[in-house]
Amino acid sequence: MSDNSVETVKDTAENFEPKILVFACNWCTYAGADLAGTSRLQYPPNVRVLRVPCSCRVNPQFVIRAFQRGIDGVLVAGCHPGDCHYTTGNYYTRRRFLLINRMMEYMGIDPKRFHTRWISGAEGPKFQQVVTEMIEEVKAIGPNRKLRDDMKVTVNTPSTDEIVASVESDTKVVDDNA
Amino acid sequence: MPNTFAEIQNEMRNIAKELLESGEATMVIGWEKGALPYQSTPVMIRSAEDVDKLIWDEYCQQNLSTYLIDYIYTDEKVAIFAKGCDTRAYNRLIQDNRIKAEKSIVIGVPCLGMKNAREAAKLPEGAEVPMANACKECRYPNPVTFDRKIGEDVTPWCTERDFSDVEAIEALSADEKYAFWQSQYTKCIRCYACRNICPACNCTSCIFDQSASGWCSKDVNASENQFYGVTRAFHVAGRCIECGQCEMVCPSEVPIMLMNKKFIKDIDSLFGAHEAGIDIDTPAPLSHFSVSDPEEFM
Amino acid sequence: MKFIEKTNLTSLLAQLDAQYRLLVPVDYHGLTQFAPYSQVDSGVSQLYLDGNVTVSPKTVYLPQSEAMYKFSAQGKKLAIEEMPPLDRMQVLFGVRHCDTKAIQCLDKVFLDDTFADPQYKDKRDKTIVFSLACNNPKATCFCESMGIDRAHAEQSVADVQVYDLGERYGFEAVSDKGQACLNALNGMTDGEAKLPEQKPQSISFDAQGLPEKLKEMFDHPIWDEYAFKCLNCGTCSYICPTCHCFDINNKMRGTTGLKLRTWDSCMFGEYTQMAGGHQPRPGKKERVRNRFLHKLQYFNEKHNMSLCVGCGRCIAKCPVNMDITKFIRQVIAE
Repeated sequence: MSDNSVETVKDTAENFEPKILVFACNWCTYAGADLAGTSRLQYPPNVRVLRVPCSCRVNPQFVIRAFQRGIDGVLVAGCHPGDCHYTTGNYYTRRRFLLINRMMEYMGIDPKRFHTRWISGAEGPKFQQVVTEMIEEVKAIGPNRKLRDDMKVTVNTPSTDEIVASVESDTKVVDDNA
Repeated sequence: MPNTFAEIQNEMRNIAKELLESGEATMVIGWEKGALPYQSTPVMIRSAEDVDKLIWDEYCQQNLSTYLIDYIYTDEKVAIFAKGCDTRAYNRLIQDNRIKAEKSIVIGVPCLGMKNAREAAKLPEGAEVPMANACKECRYPNPVTFDRKIGEDVTPWCTERDFSDVEAIEALSADEKYAFWQSQYTKCIRCYACRNICPACNCTSCIFDQSASGWCSKDVNASENQFYGVTRAFHVAGRCIECGQCEMVCPSEVPIMLMNKKFIKDIDSLFGAHEAGIDIDTPAPLSHFSVSDPEEFM
Repeated sequence: MKFIEKTNLTSLLAQLDAQYRLLVPVDYHGLTQFAPYSQVDSGVSQLYLDGNVTVSPKTVYLPQSEAMYKFSAQGKKLAIEEMPPLDRMQVLFGVRHCDTKAIQCLDKVFLDDTFADPQYKDKRDKTIVFSLACNNPKATCFCESMGIDRAHAEQSVADVQVYDLGERYGFEAVSDKGQACLNALNGMTDGEAKLPEQKPQSISFDAQGLPEKLKEMFDHPIWDEYAFKCLNCGTCSYICPTCHCFDINNKMRGTTGLKLRTWDSCMFGEYTQMAGGHQPRPGKKERVRNRFLHKLQYFNEKHNMSLCVGCGRCIAKCPVNMDITKFIRQVIAE
């Protein structure tokens, strides 16, 4: 993921382009996304694919961290149960994410922003369909502000977030060649 | 059979004395009276002469099982007093391989529910102090495992957990839920008291003690605090024995059990009822799986 | 002395809020702390004057996380931006006497003869402290035993001394800054009043000779006795009004970042951890010993004052009720 992926989200609804992060299992979903590409299946370019060795590599912390750093929607995708390259990894994924999906909803994150899906290496069209639908849904509900860890400079803790500055403002340049 | 506080306390002292004099235990960990009437505090007894420090009252909250971790690599044989929840913690620690049964002696004490020390601090002297929140929902006041036991079993006053507080939050809209947690987690000062008192939080090293790893910064704000809160709740999911200590010791009064209970509720409904620490044979729900788990991700 | 009826306190605070950035003790969802008056105004928090707050006013001078400067890489150049100073004077209302003493302790550290911390100094210079005397100490209070004057706040910190006189509050200027602030307030009456009666504290001892005694006790078995129950959490350090250890961190987003100063606690595993992996204070005993000795011996040796001011917060909040007064009494009796 390049540094640009965490740039400020455009707040205006009309030109809002959501950032969707896909945690893709190396053996299935990544191949599925590849198939979507080689099959010339079109989907919007709002997706960032992050390859993981197995969907069960994804910690709940990865998901929260993505929201903290400015992602608008997260998709965790792996092999269908029974198809895991490591035999049982995605069964653990299933248990874990049944709980985490509910917890994120409980914390106030819109369930439209966070999905788990099984997408096999042969399911290029399914990858296209899932991400396209997700992008449209997230576009409709707007940018995510929840859990965002902005680079805001605040005074006093806790509960008194009086913002005094943010890193987006102009900075003076020190010439280190001088 | 000793049953009143005074009788149990007396019996505690007798047993401690006996264990220390016979050399069966090299130390006994119990409770002594703290600074204030509503405080009791752990005490380590090494000599039979000191057993009179031991007390048993309605504020012996602290779970002594976790102290056994400190002595796993020593030659000490440690005796602890344990309430129902403490014995569940003991089982959990055995399951997690963090303590050894042969190096400890568990003296079970049936518990009538501890009082809410936080409320006691706010109430005028002499006022009736309510029971601690977690104790109100306790279904295991009697020790579930023990080497010796003091007193007769008590009848549990609660048969089913009360999830109405969790359901009240579930009923809110997404924005209301977020606003609620935001107001709670801005209070967190990240002192990690909840983690350190928790018998399920028994890792040898914790990601929150490794700020250079990049998992979580030392910057204290609502977002990082929620990252901490969810991570910890998920980490103890299926292993939480519902002693409520995390919430009780929080200096900022964050309702931590609301997170833990949410996981408990979901685990029960998705994977079948589970009670952590009741025995040492049932695996924790997140340490295994079933091919017939509910399917929502097609 | 100037007076205001308790029923008119809100109008006084509103006046202060109009002229200054006003910080008052509040109860925010069960956590008591100092917060901007706007929180009270908007109903988010309730004004809390019944006792001392859980999170001490050190947060005003040494916030839990504070940006020191911003930086960004711009090609081969490094851009640095200093943090803006406070844009106006602030009033800190209702600081208890123990906490004014604690701020004096922080002054010794951050306004050292050789180096004055600019961010601390900025806040310190731009704050007017209204110090409120306690008539009814809490059961955990022992400031008198640590040498705090219950009738008068620390002179180098307080600008206005406030007394609770039953139906009304009495105000007395301590510094010129405080006098000017008081003079600009409307609706106050002048007069004389007898100082309120202060109830005795239930914890009382004579701490004379404590540092000298502790000097000989580095290897004493008392540390095993006390440290065994410590959980190594940071509650005591974080709510302590004088604990001031901090860590310096980076918070990075791509090529830009913030240099942060955040609280740290000597109870934590990362504290004193060395780059090569060596940990000179590996366990509970070493950490508890360091904290107690810093409070009661080292600071005394360096600055001739105790780093414990007897606010009693740690007694009230320690998860395992580690009682520093019991420790002091035991050391004195040794």
